[in-house]
Parts: sequence; structure tokens; C-alpha cells
Amino acid sequence: MSGVQVGKRIIGADAPVTVGWENIGRVEGGPFKQFFFTWFQPAVLFGLIAFWYYAPNEWALASIGIALGLGFKVLLLGLEWVNPRYRSWQLTWKEFATDLFYVGLGYTILRMVDSYIGDGVMIEAVQNAFDWDKFSWFTGLPLLVQALLISMIFDFGQYWMHRGMHNWYPLWLTHAPHHYITQLNINKGAVGNPVELFLIGLGVGGFFDFLPRAFLLAGAIGMSVATYQHINVRFNTPRWWRYIFNTVEHHSVHHSQDYEATRSNYSGTWIIWDRIFGTCVDGEAELLGMEGGRRMDIRETMVYPFAEGYKSARAALRKRLQLPDTAAHQPEPAE
Amino acid sequence: MALNLPYIDRIWRAEGSVTVAERLTADEAFTRLDPLFQTPGTEYAVEGDTLAYTKRNPAAQDKLATFTRGTLRVAEQQDGTSRVFFNVSSTALLLCFLAPLLFLSFAQIMVTVNAWDKAATEAAETGEKKKDEDKAKPVPQLHPLDQMLGAPAPEDPAKKKKDKEKKDKGKFDPTPAYVLAGLFFLIYCVGRVLEPWLLKRTLRAALSAQHGESAAAAGAFAAPQPDAG
Repeated sequence: MSGVQVGKRIIGADAPVTVGWENIGRVEGGPFKQFFFTWFQPAVLFGLIAFWYYAPNEWALASIGIALGLGFKVLLLGLEWVNPRYRSWQLTWKEFATDLFYVGLGYTILRMVDSYIGDGVMIEAVQNAFDWDKFSWFTGLPLLVQALLISMIFDFGQYWMHRGMHNWYPLWLTHAPHHYITQLNINKGAVGNPVELFLIGLGVGGFFDFLPRAFLLAGAIGMSVATYQHINVRFNTPRWWRYIFNTVEHHSVHHSQDYEATRSNYSGTWIIWDRIFGTCVDGEAELLGMEGGRRMDIRETMVYPFAEGYKSARAALRKRLQLPDTAAHQPEPAE
Repeated sequence: MALNLPYIDRIWRAEGSVTVAERLTADEAFTRLDPLFQTPGTEYAVEGDTLAYTKRNPAAQDKLATFTRGTLRVAEQQDGTSRVFFNVSSTALLLCFLAPLLFLSFAQIMVTVNAWDKAATEAAETGEKKKDEDKAKPVPQLHPLDQMLGAPAPEDPAKKKKDKEKKDKGKFDPTPAYVLAGLFFLIYCVGRVLEPWLLKRTLRAALSAQHGESAAAAGAFAAPQPDAG
């Protein structure tokens, strides 16, 4: 496989990756279907922004935001069924149940852990040492500017944390299980080792004082953009959208079986961070995963960072102490 | 999952049969089913009229991904047809059946922590007098642009805090854990009915496939599957 040169890199030398917008697939079907799957994403984004901008205070609650998010996911599951991007990514009962298990961890036990050691706690500890009034001028900015700042600051942090995970081995150990997913569906964003999910959720937004409504607006932007990064739906994404926002096309390149392609498209919502820092690759991929597409089960996902970390540390220590390697592990003969 | 527990094993085991409208020997039937077992992590053995298989962590799109262990037996019928009897088991179904217990235990942990937290707060409040009322925060004002566009003005934080205190049920809300427990029970019920039905469809399609045609390529396999939720 020869691959395609993007900047100084060769993309698609190890596994197939489609590079360039002109080469990616389009929605197939009649004019209504074309119209729907071209304008669905912008319509939802602007609709949600308008909703949160004008919703009365008694509606502007985090609980309503969560309920809207859940309803939106059910709708997207329906779209995955109606207009899948790839049949090889079709959701099955087992995949759905597995994905929901990880989603469930996020809503329960991880949330508990987060309340003790998450970014909110860390930021509060730091805040106690400073005078924070100087940051309160943010609340005087127009609401949409505040929302954009919240969203972009959070995504900037996520970009660098994610890039760090692909470049520093201890962090990679936590992120690797997420790269063993072999298809994209809307709940796949939650699939991974809990340590990674904790790390990627860390943000610095809590240092700044924003109006609650601005947080809801930022949440709406995140929900109606970042959710699409793991979705099996074919959209005719508008050109301006894919220039500034992350898309499933970008994220499928990031998850492809091609090593060099995985080192691109790190942002969650704003692909412009990748454009600015030179890591964006426009395109798409169908064959995803690691080790030729080996599926990682829940047990291995939970222990992987610790088991692999132990193995690597042991090997490094042996090398340093110049001890002989133990006999290579022999797989058991087939029954 | 080689346990033999009558009645209880119906949680994770499925039994049934598929009728083929032609007389097939065991060899012919297993040849047609062969593509289902030519996937990574699959081991199988044929002994007479019975095929036994196991699949270790099969791929997401593997047609037998849910039922990772089982046997298939071929029997020729008097009326010129054949029947393939299956007896298969699923770790996924068992884990899905147990998942509600896990989420109920998370809920119980939350309830317990809430109780501890409440007790600790009350003890702290009785030990020392309540601190002075929080400094009155100024009511935040909307930017003139937002006022012009008609966005609702922010609420007084002091009033909001009072409302919050009234509603405060504890540090952690166990509701999502209860909802997830219920959801997994529902998904289990759907899976217990849907997956054996899909298995029958898969076997029927593979057995009726023309010679030389891969079972995996049979059109019926590619049909969209409904999600369990």
C-alpha cells in the first residue's frame, strides 16, 4: 500500500484511508433524503442554540440538558439504522449492550470518583489560594461569546491531553483500549479504560466565571457537534462545518488501522485546533482498530493499562539490570 | 459455560432447530455452515452428525458473536427434509442478565455515601456555630446585546441557592443507576428473544445458500438489526 502524502507524512501506508474531501462517500437517495442528511447537523446546532438562548430560567437546568441529550442519542440511533455510513459498522445487540455498560459507568461510579478527585476539586483547591474576582469579567460578555470561550477552552485542553496520550507511553496505555474499537456508533465515545475517561474529562474551564446559561449553550454546542464524531451515519456535511468542526470523517481517520493516520485529528469539537497545530487530515476510513481489528473485551479494557504497564516496566527494568529475558510466552496449543 | 443447570441455564442458553427443505447429510450441512466458523478466534470440531464450536472474543460483526459456544446437530427427516438442532450458550446474555445487579450495587453505594455525608455535615454543624451568611454576591447582568435580543435575565444567585437547599437530596443522585439497572433488564429481555431469532435466520440463510456462495455474503445477513434499546 503506497499511501498518500499529507504534509510531511504518508497516510494510508498500513491500511486503507481515503484522503481528501473530494474522495469521500455521499448520501445516496432521493431529494428529501439528500436534503435531510445535508442540513440535519446545522439545523440541530442552531435550533439548540436558539432554545438555550431563549429558554426561561426555570427550563435552563442541567437536568433538562441531560434529558435532551438522551433523547437526541435515541434519535441518532434511529438515524444509524436508517442511513448507515458503513454496513460493517452496523450496531448489533451485543455491541449496543457493551457500549451501554461503559456509558453506565460514566453516569454512576465514574461520576462519584470525579466528585472526589476530578477537575472541580482540583480547581477549587487552587482557587482558594487566589483572588478570583479578576476572572468574573467573563460574565459581562455576550452569552454566545461566553459559550464559545467555554467550548473552545475545554476542547483546547482536550486536544493537548489527547495528543499527549498518543505521544507519551504512560498516557497511551490508558487511551489504547479506546483504539481497539472496530466500528463507530454514537456510544463508542464512552468505550475505554475508566482512567482515560477521567483524564480526558479534566478541563480548566472551572477557573473562569461564566453565566450558567452560557454553560448550557456550550453544552449544546458540544452535544450537537462532538456527538457526531462516533456515529455510523452518512451525512453530506457542509464544507464550512467540516472546516471548523470535528466530524465522523475526521474521527474515522483517527481510529483507522493505519498508524500514521491515528496521529491526526485529536480535537473533540473544534477541528480548527488540529488545523492550527498541523495535525488535521481530511478524509475517512472504514477499517478501524488495532492489531488488524482485534476486538477488546470488557475485562481486558479494564486491566490493559495496568497489565501492559507492568509488563513494560518489568522489561525495562530487566534491560537496565541486564538480566536475561525470560523465555518467550508460548501460546497454548489448540485443543 | 459448560454448566448443566436445568431451567437456570435458560438465562444464557438457547436451544432450537432449523428446518432445511432438502435432504442434507451432516457433511453437506457443515460445509454450508463452514464460513460461520472461518473467523478469527474460532475453534470447532465435527464428530459424526454433531459440530461443536467455541469463539474467543469474536469480532463485532461475527454472525455468532453473541453465542460463543455451542453444538449443532444435523438430522435427516422422513419427509425428505433435514433439521439442524442447535444448543448454544452466551456469556454476553449472562453478563447482561447480571448487569442490573452491578448498577443496583452502585446505587446502594451512593445511598450509603449520602447517609455518611449527611451525618458528617450534621456533626460538623452542631460542633461549631453556623458560619455567617455568604457574602451577598451581586446579581450578574446580561450584556446589552443579549438584553436587546431578548435573552432571559440571570436569576439572583441567593434565591437559587435557597431553592437548591430545599431540593438537596444528597451528594449523589442514585436515579441514573436505577435507570441503568432497568435498562439492562430490558436489553436482556430483548436480547434473549432477538438473538436466538437472529441465530435461526443466520443458520437458515447459510444452509439454504447455493454451493460455492459464502454464507457470510448471503443477503439476509446484511439486513439492519434493530438496536436493543
